[in-house]
Amino acid sequence: MEHLALDALAAFILLNAVIGMVTYVTLLERKFAARMQSRIGPYRVGPHGLLQPIADALKLMMKEDIVPRAADRWVYNLAPIVFLIPCVLIFATIPFAPRLGLADLNIGVLFFLAVSSLEIVGLFMGGWGSNNKYALLSAMRAVNQIISYDLPFVFAALIPVVLAGSLQMSAIVAAQQGLWFVAYPVIGQLGFVAFLVATLAAENRVPFDILEAESELVAGFRVEYSGMKFAIIQLGEYAHMIASSFLGALLFLGGWLGPGSDIPAIGVLWFLLKAMLVFLVVTWVRWSFVRIRVDQILAVSWKLLLPATLGLLLVTAFWVALRGGAGA
Amino acid sequence: MPEAARNGAGFWSDFGRLVRAVGRAMGVTLKNLGRKPVTVHYPDVKRLYPDRFRGILALTYDKETGEENCIGCRLCEYICPPQVIKVEMLKAEKRNFAKVFQLELYACEFCELCVQVCPTDAIIMMKSFDLATADRRELLLDKDRLHAIGLDFEPSWATGNRLRDMQAPPKPAKAPAAKGEAKESTE
Amino acid sequence: MADSESRKVIELGYGGNERLVMNMGPQHPSAHGVFRAILTLEGETVVAVDAVIGYLHRCHEKLGEMLTYVQYPTIASKTDYVAAMTAELAYVTAVEKVASFEVPKRAQYLRVIVAELQRIASHCLWLGTWCLDMGGALGGGATVFLYCIRERELILDLFESLTGARLLYGFHQVGGTRYDIPPGWAQTCRETIALIEQRLDEYEAMLEDNAFFLVRTQGVGVISATLAQEVGVSGPLARGSGIDFDLRRAEPYSSYQDFDFKVPVETAGDCYARYRVRMVEFRESIKIVRQALDGLPEGPISSRPGVKSVGQVRVPKGEGYARVEGARGEIGFYIVADGGPKPYRMKVRGASFSNLAILPHIIPGCKVADVVAIMGSVDPVFGEVDR
Repeated sequence: MEHLALDALAAFILLNAVIGMVTYVTLLERKFAARMQSRIGPYRVGPHGLLQPIADALKLMMKEDIVPRAADRWVYNLAPIVFLIPCVLIFATIPFAPRLGLADLNIGVLFFLAVSSLEIVGLFMGGWGSNNKYALLSAMRAVNQIISYDLPFVFAALIPVVLAGSLQMSAIVAAQQGLWFVAYPVIGQLGFVAFLVATLAAENRVPFDILEAESELVAGFRVEYSGMKFAIIQLGEYAHMIASSFLGALLFLGGWLGPGSDIPAIGVLWFLLKAMLVFLVVTWVRWSFVRIRVDQILAVSWKLLLPATLGLLLVTAFWVALRGGAGA
Repeated sequence: MPEAARNGAGFWSDFGRLVRAVGRAMGVTLKNLGRKPVTVHYPDVKRLYPDRFRGILALTYDKETGEENCIGCRLCEYICPPQVIKVEMLKAEKRNFAKVFQLELYACEFCELCVQVCPTDAIIMMKSFDLATADRRELLLDKDRLHAIGLDFEPSWATGNRLRDMQAPPKPAKAPAAKGEAKESTE
Repeated sequence: MADSESRKVIELGYGGNERLVMNMGPQHPSAHGVFRAILTLEGETVVAVDAVIGYLHRCHEKLGEMLTYVQYPTIASKTDYVAAMTAELAYVTAVEKVASFEVPKRAQYLRVIVAELQRIASHCLWLGTWCLDMGGALGGGATVFLYCIRERELILDLFESLTGARLLYGFHQVGGTRYDIPPGWAQTCRETIALIEQRLDEYEAMLEDNAFFLVRTQGVGVISATLAQEVGVSGPLARGSGIDFDLRRAEPYSSYQDFDFKVPVETAGDCYARYRVRMVEFRESIKIVRQALDGLPEGPISSRPGVKSVGQVRVPKGEGYARVEGARGEIGFYIVADGGPKPYRMKVRGASFSNLAILPHIIPGCKVADVVAIMGSVDPVFGEVDR
């Protein structure tokens, strides 16, 4: 019985930690982006803008919750929650240190990939339920895009799985004791780049953020949401972004491995650092490019990324077979 | 986007171009990451106003005698394009004054034409743009307010005589200075 | 034609046959001003567009009849408010042409310097907002936007130390200019344009040969040379379609014949061609400013005495049209004078008004995302469109 209570407590702590981290990651992104644009970013709320996320959260909580009269009420109101749940659930499977994880499943990577693609349901519900042409257009584009990019995402994530011989995340990190997967000649680097590109597209980040193209569709599927529902959607998006960064750090950059990582605390620190590095690289790409059209995005996925990741996976499998089995 | 072309050579060269272009663009953003931000921390730090800054309007007093400069001639009222100035003249023995001088700052377009025409340099612009208020009535400036503004802020360079001198430099007395002459045309 | 069809569709609502009528309304992050485009979509493809303008109509032509020749130049800057200097220049050139006033050489050179600096500033804004539309307010577009605005602010600082205002200047007056350059301005100007020249290399590094940018702009919004001539577009739109015409070279005004500059022409007619034309125009304007600063003669800045009264300038009976090469195309003013201090009739030919007429010809057939790319490359300013 106390086992259940302990698990519930751990889940509660993790949930709060995730939400706290997500809010402060928005601040990190804003300041990083600002410095790249010769400006400062949030500065006045709290010392150097450190209280800005709190101010934003308070503001969103206090806003009026407007529901369009013609909106499909059940679909519209449930959409943010259906969107948020998968995005936060995937954190349960990420181990932060050798035995510090909520649910280190032996099918961890599979669970992560499967559940993270469930967000599309919530997204489409939001777009449909808003009864707004902009939102509908954006939701249709989103379904197209995310489904197309889930396949390369899965294949790119499978490369470390094949190299490590296990779907369990801690086993994948353990297999990187000798050499991080990203350092493997050619397949490591190409796999990491493919993973980053697929992450960008699955997260609707520029250059693939056609679904929320502010200059055309104002806010995409989120356009009719205000107040706390909007906050929940933002939370879900950034949580998914962070979770993908963690996954990338875990699969390719060696997770919690690093000098002094025998101590779990330092391991966790390394893991956070690497995840933030992946996040910053994604942000750097985001703030450097213009977006491409939806048909071009789909062309990239089906004509370029899918064959490339499939090819890489085959090469990896071939190499592993030659090496004599995985887990070298 | 380099779609997987049938000819392999085209595809790889396109891919190489893309990689180089991506590297260049991200290099530019990285370079700017290292630059000092251009933000001016207003209101803690105020930007230096240039000499000729066109800010809020004001009426002036004469430096020596301390009298009001405005003689109520209404030239500014006639020239103002959006007609925001209303003046009523007060006749007196030696010189005239302005009895009423009202300026609707919320409609002013800050074109400096009133400054340009004033024969006595009475109306000038100051180096201040902090004009936002919560009450529109505060932007309806009357004569006392305009004189007070004239003492509160730093005046800009432009006055009527200076502008007119700049636009047509004064002719030298009787010398046939062809370069410096302003052509007098029919008025 | 296309207009009546789309009007029918609007009345029916969801025009049957899977068509969606979408309104890119006057309040829109990429409308470049107040512009309403009613798009009829089949899926992602735009089938018809109905452009609605007039949201910024401020009765410039009536104001031109009510205000005198000394008052109107400050209002003329509000037609093309992004490139105010060229708009004022058009008005005073028209008045001077009708009245046969002469403008001293120094004033002409000052006008050239200021017009070319304004062209650089306007193109900075164009590049920034175009990339902002294509790249999103949260994304690479915003980065290019902020870089361009950072450079534009430098030029606006120059204008501020020259006239006192940053956007709407009132710099020109009939017969010359109102302000002369303060001491040290020429040196600051040279430094600024040298800096901008370096930064231009950075923008090109970000955008040039970048596959993301090229797929958005190449082959998009192609205007053929015949179409351009039929519709009457001018400026970089026409030069991007192969029409080699620049008013500064064809009908030189204000001493442009003294300067040596290239006029860029591209033949492709798509958004990328117009982009290349404007990028070359950046550098050519920098060259012109340098030549003008080097050759700036001494002398008066106005052939008429400074404005002392509202009815000072009287133009004898006559009428005439003068046009200048603005940042967006040909800006023209037609003045009918009757001997008094105000014109009897003043007509404004705004460059963007004619340029915008190209939209119903090139937008049907392209995707929704292309609409923003095309609007950005047409670069309308609605002060000129609606006057």
